[in-house]
Amino acid sequence: MSARDRILAAASSKLGDAKSRKAAVDARLGAGRQPSLKPEIALTDGAERVERFIAQAEAVQATVSRHAAVSELPAALSDQLRNRNLPQAVRAGSEPDFAGLDWGGVEVSHGKGRVDEPATLSRAFCAAAETGTLALTSGPENPVTLTFLGETHFVVLKASEIEAGYEGVWDRFRKSGRDPRTLNLVTGPSRTADIEQKLELGAHGPVALHIFLVND
Amino acid sequence: MTHQPTSKQFKANARAALSNEMVQTAMGKVGGGFVGKRAAARAEVPEFDALRDAARDVKNHTLANLDLYLERYEAQVQASGGHVHWAETAEDARDIILGIVAEAARSEDGKAIVNKGKSMVSEEVALNPALEEAGHKVVETDLGEYIIQLRGEIPSHIIAPAVHVTKEQVEREFREAHPQFDADRTFPDAASLVREARTVLREKYFEADVGITGANMLIAETGQSVIVTNEGNGDLTQSLGRVHVVIASLEKVVPTLDDAATVMRVLARSATGQPVTVYTTFSRGPKRAEDPDGPEEYHVVLLDNGRTNMLSGEFQDMLRCIRCGACMNHCPVYQSVGGHAYGWVYPGPMGAVLTPSLIGVEEGGQLPNASTFCGRCEAVCPMRIPLPRMMRSWREREFEKHLTPSATRYGLGLWAYFAKRPSLYQFATRWAVWKMKLFAGRKNRMSWLPFAGGWTAHRDFPAPEGKTFQQIWAERKR
Ligand code: SF4
Repeated sequence: MSARDRILAAASSKLGDAKSRKAAVDARLGAGRQPSLKPEIALTDGAERVERFIAQAEAVQATVSRHAAVSELPAALSDQLRNRNLPQAVRAGSEPDFAGLDWGGVEVSHGKGRVDEPATLSRAFCAAAETGTLALTSGPENPVTLTFLGETHFVVLKASEIEAGYEGVWDRFRKSGRDPRTLNLVTGPSRTADIEQKLELGAHGPVALHIFLVND
Repeated sequence: MTHQPTSKQFKANARAALSNEMVQTAMGKVGGGFVGKRAAARAEVPEFDALRDAARDVKNHTLANLDLYLERYEAQVQASGGHVHWAETAEDARDIILGIVAEAARSEDGKAIVNKGKSMVSEEVALNPALEEAGHKVVETDLGEYIIQLRGEIPSHIIAPAVHVTKEQVEREFREAHPQFDADRTFPDAASLVREARTVLREKYFEADVGITGANMLIAETGQSVIVTNEGNGDLTQSLGRVHVVIASLEKVVPTLDDAATVMRVLARSATGQPVTVYTTFSRGPKRAEDPDGPEEYHVVLLDNGRTNMLSGEFQDMLRCIRCGACMNHCPVYQSVGGHAYGWVYPGPMGAVLTPSLIGVEEGGQLPNASTFCGRCEAVCPMRIPLPRMMRSWREREFEKHLTPSATRYGLGLWAYFAKRPSLYQFATRWAVWKMKLFAGRKNRMSWLPFAGGWTAHRDFPAPEGKTFQQIWAERKR
């Protein structure tokens, strides 16, 4: 008997006949999924939902700017870089939504993150208003290392992609058919309180997180 | 690294900690922060107690079908191209990981660079000493873990491992460990220390052969392992190493993403008082063919180490624990002696129950005495784990086995020990005393303890009004 079989047998012997339990487990893992209890904060809609997303993200030191269309992004990014005293350069993946844009004076390089990345740009998969949380999926369009290696991380999100709660993110994820290595939920810039419980931003990941929220 | 349990000497450890000024200074800075923040976070979600019930129910259902959920989880990991390894004991887990690391080493001498995200299970199996003994270089990347690694210690808190260390001590360690920087540099604040650690560790992520992380959850539906962090180090560890190894104990599995949401809603609020941590990362398998980054191999080591033994028994409830740390943040005993006094990797009330379950009542049987039975741990536990009840069970077992040192028998010595320190004792008894009737019913054995009255049985504690926990604590101390 392998270690696996011994462990499973030990569990089964304590838990009783697996056959009688299997139907409930299969149901829960399939269509009979147990709906989770959604608190009020995960039930917002319309303008209130967008407002909650912004307020929650800002409460954890993310910054948010709003834009009428994706075409505004190059100018907005350039302004952001200037205001933050960063070079006019950004690292991004092969995100198709960015492909048609004329970035003007901003130099956009493509690929995974390197040791030193003053600014990186990602496209969010969607978001949850509940806690001001962005959801990103890894892949060539949005290399996961850009989310963690950028000193300042810029993320583009459409207002229509903001779900009320985590369940909305899961539904989108299941329906998308995406199978990324990582699904990353990101809520504000990186932080630590490991030295005397004092909150410091930018522990290993970004010191700043800026969200370009685009109406659509 | 002191991995040899010293839980047997809890009383001596506690005495030493109480008279250790450094520990006391550092611990003085802890309590109030977490307690107040949790209360505020909880107040923002009116349904919080219902969410705790839901989280408890998710875990109870999962534990009652643990074999089936583990099978599904394993199948999903394999479908993603990942490998699942089963470890019955700590030694098995070490051997499995030593094997993976040796395979992954790129240097000619077969030695690997191993980066680690924070993992309590890796502490449980004493992984670092094993890796180091085999000649591999281990780098803890969580800032708190990095600090205690430099100090050669084990964590003193499950979510704030270096909580017992002062800023001045960190500074001293950094000066010694980072000779590449100007010796005359100053560290005016914590931020300057964080920056230096960031610079040093950033390089290390890119050198790693293997990145080892823990898991806060394993999702049977999708085969994902989940890490919940604030720093981002766990993500850099798993995405930049050539091989990603996840070490997790069996009971981390939950059925679906929806169930994970329930756990997420109580975890960070209970732990640090955040609505959610900065990063919650769901990882499935190795990098995809088209991915520009990510590990080439993905391994999950599933550790039993005594847990299947706890199923269906008196201590099964403990397997619901999500390692949030709320019980120790609210424990007057923990707050006064710190985590190291508990003598093994899991401190505080959760450690007092788990330690004897995992390493035996002979080793850990003293810990359940480290309680004033004030009941705050159960009152705040997001998974509604009846910690005082289980501590009492262990005490009874230990008593039956006559393992209690003679001086502490009948007198329930540690209780008396704490009770004799009026500041600590009064503080503890200001709060609810959980089911004191039990002791009242025992032929006045405890009647000399001044527990006459004045306490009420709150089920939970409101946000501190007026003075904070920390202020009261500071005033009452000594
Ligand atoms: S026992 Fe409860 S309060 Fe303590 S760490 Fe576990 S889940 Fe948190």
